[in-house]
Amino acid sequence: RPTIDQELLESLPNLKVIANSGVGVDHLDLRMISNFGVKVTNTPHAVADSTADIGMALMLASARRLVEGCQIAISPDTKYFAVDWLGVEVTRATLGIIGMGNIGYKVAQRAKAFEMKILYHNRNQRKKEEEQAVGAHYCEKMEDLLQQSDFVMLVVNLTPKTHKLIGKRELGLMKPTATLINISRGAVVDQDALVEALQNKIIMAAALDVTYPEPLPRDHPLLKLNNIIIAPHIGTATVQAIRMMAEEAIANMLAVLNGQPVPSEV
Amino acid sequence: MWYHKPVIDKELLQSLPMLKVVASSGVGIDHLDLNLLSSFGVKVSNTPFVVSTDTADLGMALMLASARRLVEGYQMAVSPDTEYFPADWLGVEVSGTTLGIIGMGTIGYKVAQRAKAFDMKILYHNRNQRNKEEESAVGAIYCKKIDDLLQQSDFVILAVVLTPQTRKLIGKRELELMKPTATLINISRGLVVDQDALVEALQNKVIKAAALDVTYPEPLPRDHPLLKMKNVVVTPHIGSATKETRRLMMENMIESMQAALRGLPIPNEVL
Repeated sequence: RPTIDQELLESLPNLKVIANSGVGVDHLDLRMISNFGVKVTNTPHAVADSTADIGMALMLASARRLVEGCQIAISPDTKYFAVDWLGVEVTRATLGIIGMGNIGYKVAQRAKAFEMKILYHNRNQRKKEEEQAVGAHYCEKMEDLLQQSDFVMLVVNLTPKTHKLIGKRELGLMKPTATLINISRGAVVDQDALVEALQNKIIMAAALDVTYPEPLPRDHPLLKLNNIIIAPHIGTATVQAIRMMAEEAIANMLAVLNGQPVPSEV
Repeated sequence: MWYHKPVIDKELLQSLPMLKVVASSGVGIDHLDLNLLSSFGVKVSNTPFVVSTDTADLGMALMLASARRLVEGYQMAVSPDTEYFPADWLGVEVSGTTLGIIGMGTIGYKVAQRAKAFDMKILYHNRNQRNKEEESAVGAIYCKKIDDLLQQSDFVILAVVLTPQTRKLIGKRELELMKPTATLINISRGLVVDQDALVEALQNKVIKAAALDVTYPEPLPRDHPLLKMKNVVVTPHIGSATKETRRLMMENMIESMQAALRGLPIPNEVL
């Protein structure tokens, strides 16, 4: 917000720069904005740690059934804790990272400390040193990653190429014991296909910080499933990250207005 | 035995004259009267190492869930009353903050290994200081005085074993030494914390939040104040509750029992 459309831009003839907080710019019509001679900046550095953290938080919460467990712990009906109530391990499991940019790489750094086997799929392969530092194996074909992963994490940016990147076919390739984690954009996943996959136990669970739209309609099937965690797009919702995003956005704006090199121009 | 049942008392032992061994699941043995068992000639085993990574993982899960308000966020995301997501709804960072680990045994050390990858500054308090290589490997700084750790930490995690010395280790005094912005995470035993003092500290914002896998008792009475606080995450003692680990625990227990019945040295014997 606000929605940047033709009307708004026409009403602001002196506008020089739109400084977006956050890294995603899929909500901006870059071509139209460019036609008005307005620059666009984002804040890739401020968001990276907190978004990687949310990815890890969702993976751990999902695997260990944290939300369900919490509900049992506080439920008025709970008389004892069942001994056979189990989740699955994160340590030593296989994590497939789709989108190994800044954020994806930070996820890999964290996952390595959990002794996870790390596979990744990216437009381009990373350098050997970068791969070795986190023990990540490149999967040129996304199919290979999908078939071998216990956890699949989406960390791509949303472009026409990544729209519905994960659909019925991709979900079908995943293990029936696998969990899909989305910290990118809701539209990267074919949501209807995901509902079906979760209902039919094609995959085991999902954990989503992002959906399309946000929030979902209150009667959406995803809200009724018990093998899903949904968070309200809180990837950068920390006191510290919000401050850093503001600082990064301001630095970008000042650079544009002062005719200096812009740190994060899109 | 699983999860503290059955209760092993004098009556039970007298009724089982042929009992050779009690194989306890998990690493904690605070629920067993070792002297009593020894006087009946019954051996005891536990499953110390197999639970370590799962418990460390859960410690990290609780810290992240608490800091990022994941349970509250989930409730907002699915609530029938939610119309939009407020822009000023915030949690706090884990990456780059300070973690204080009280109890740097196997589990505590695995927590440190994980926390290091989040660029956390790691302080620890332990009966004994770890050697230099172990400390450097995770960048952990020893706090001989627990007060120093409490005063500097954004997150304090309890990974001690429950003994008479660690009972109510964290009480009113310790909670007051913590930062008002700090979170207490307990993956050890409920009795390590003075629960009434914790309730008071949370109500009076002496500390910011708590995340507890363990309480005393388990479960808590349904009307307990800890169950009603927004800034408290409670999980039902699931530190080792994964399919993979429970299987390993069972295998270990069977191995111990078979060795005891054959009169052989018992793996994981508790002396």
